[in-house]
Amino acid sequence: MLDLLWHGLVNVAQWKYMLPLFAGTFIGVIGGSLPGVTITMTVIVVLPFTYGLDPLAGLAAMTGVYVGGSTGGLIACCLLGIPGSPASIATTFDGFPMARNGEPGRAIWLGVWASVWGGLLGALFLVFLTGPLAAIALEFGPWEYFSLFVLAMAMVAGLAESSLLKGLISTAIGLLITVVGHDPIGSVPRFTFGSDFIGDGFPFLPVLIGIFAFAQIMTDLEKLNLPRGHAVEALTGIKLERFSHLKVNWEIFRQPFQLLWATIVGLIIGILPAIGGSASSVMAYDQAKKFSKTPERFGKGHPEGIIASEASNNANVSGSLMTIMAFGIPGDAVTAVMLGAMTIHGIQSGPLFISQNPDIAYGIYAAYILAHPCMLLICVVLMPLMMRVTSVRMAVLAPVVLVLCVLGAYALNNTMQSVYVLLLFGVIGYVLVKLGFPLAPLILGLILGDQIEINLVRAIMTDPNPWLFLTRPISGGLLLAAVLSVGLAIWQHLRHQKRVIGEEEPDF
Amino acid sequence: MSIGRDGIAGLVLLTISLVLLVQSFQLPSLPIVPVGPGFYPAIVLSFMAAASALLVVQDVVKHRAQVQAGVLDAPRRNYRLVVIAFAIAAAYVALLPLLGFRIATVLFVAALQAALDPPKSTRDWALLVAIALGTAAVSYVVFERYLLVLLPRGAWTGF
Repeated sequence: MLDLLWHGLVNVAQWKYMLPLFAGTFIGVIGGSLPGVTITMTVIVVLPFTYGLDPLAGLAAMTGVYVGGSTGGLIACCLLGIPGSPASIATTFDGFPMARNGEPGRAIWLGVWASVWGGLLGALFLVFLTGPLAAIALEFGPWEYFSLFVLAMAMVAGLAESSLLKGLISTAIGLLITVVGHDPIGSVPRFTFGSDFIGDGFPFLPVLIGIFAFAQIMTDLEKLNLPRGHAVEALTGIKLERFSHLKVNWEIFRQPFQLLWATIVGLIIGILPAIGGSASSVMAYDQAKKFSKTPERFGKGHPEGIIASEASNNANVSGSLMTIMAFGIPGDAVTAVMLGAMTIHGIQSGPLFISQNPDIAYGIYAAYILAHPCMLLICVVLMPLMMRVTSVRMAVLAPVVLVLCVLGAYALNNTMQSVYVLLLFGVIGYVLVKLGFPLAPLILGLILGDQIEINLVRAIMTDPNPWLFLTRPISGGLLLAAVLSVGLAIWQHLRHQKRVIGEEEPDF
Repeated sequence: MSIGRDGIAGLVLLTISLVLLVQSFQLPSLPIVPVGPGFYPAIVLSFMAAASALLVVQDVVKHRAQVQAGVLDAPRRNYRLVVIAFAIAAAYVALLPLLGFRIATVLFVAALQAALDPPKSTRDWALLVAIALGTAAVSYVVFERYLLVLLPRGAWTGF
């Protein structure tokens, strides 16, 4: 394994891979530092540039965006008091107070170094655990795959903040989109209404870009000319104070358990499907506060808060990569785009991915590892530029990003049809967001829809006994976990409602 | 009985689910496959119909409670910019095959910038035009020359 990893590192260290990796990391850091631009949106913007590249070069660029974006968000957190990307949300809690206390350099570099160490620790897990996980997945038959996908969707729907019901409906909408077009077994057209436009179904990437990018940009535009809701004073136009990188690293390694635990939290959240970096950042922050000897200092510029949040959101990337490489399930929206890019290049992710494509698999590990020194170098050299970038106006960003979205859809197969699909799902995505339907379950349904159907039909064709889904131990266990996941979500929702009612009672 | 936004969304989704569910039963079955092409969509649509119906019920109950408590006056947001942005994006998509990528992109970027943040001085206008021209030029060079993607040519302009 180490031989393959070394081969991967040497391979990716070539210019043809290193250049896209470096460029991707740079764009990721910039995209991450722009408030309102998520990592998903940044990776969507980069996507069309990867179509013409070698598959590994394209995936290296996307991995770079992912790593860079997870770190870039902390700059806006520390200087503006708002997260540059959702994955950095908990960095704001202590990064901004520390910067306001006259230590913006310490706040930013604690975050950058914590990202590097958290990410590299995560890489250890990524390299050594993905193979064994894939080996477990190899034992799966169609029953287990079907149940695993159902569990993934149940978990994501259950995590929907607005309501479990809307999460479940959102999942169903995602699944429904995949059944439009020819069925995967007999190629019978379904729900096409005789239209050539949807005769082949909806292409995955334009749907994904439309739903995510449009919904995000349009939601941002709603707030464009409105006064800011919070009265914090942004620290723009400032210079970083003099400080020692050695001292910053000492602060991080003084409490190795905190770093390791934040990494593990990020990793686990990353492995769980479609939860994303924001949850890992907040959960690691919460854990750090619970384990801290000085919890009262959290929220006032405590270094432990920044370290936990940033180490966790970078380790989250390795967890997401593990899930996509071992099971073929995207850990979040960014890996969903990567999955789409892999499909374009004819690469099938899943348990056989590592054994069938060792060059690409170990190349991704290598790209993930090398993205961290790249990101560090970019931060060291370009920090003043990045601090200026946070003030780029949405009025400039939105049209440029939308042009790149259109290009991303068009360049997929050089037809306007994909662009029309993009616009259609842009509207649908925005409407769903405004109605309070979470998009993550929809995307997961969209990605897993075909696989769920294929595995369901394959299982029935192998043995028509439907009870096998329950009586096969792994499949039954996964379905039980899915039921428990939904049950837990209902219980939490009811408990929350009860608490809200309890809090409201004194007013009446 | 009054109904809220969730209820209306639920009703729309319920209608779509039921219409498609009926269609899924009419799909031809295949002799070699034990389950037909409508089997899986029927499961998804039944689930969606049931969840949508529940959403309607939940909304009616919640809405009634809110009406009684008088908490329906949520602050409204200004969606004018969103509508304008969608309209400009739709016009861009419609004009792409007619005007060609380069002209349509210059117009789109300029129009959307002007709509989102109207220029107030000559300098603002110059910047707006520069960004519009720059976006079209850079994306054209990168995609058409470097990545060899043949971008749309205009049916009206031939450019």
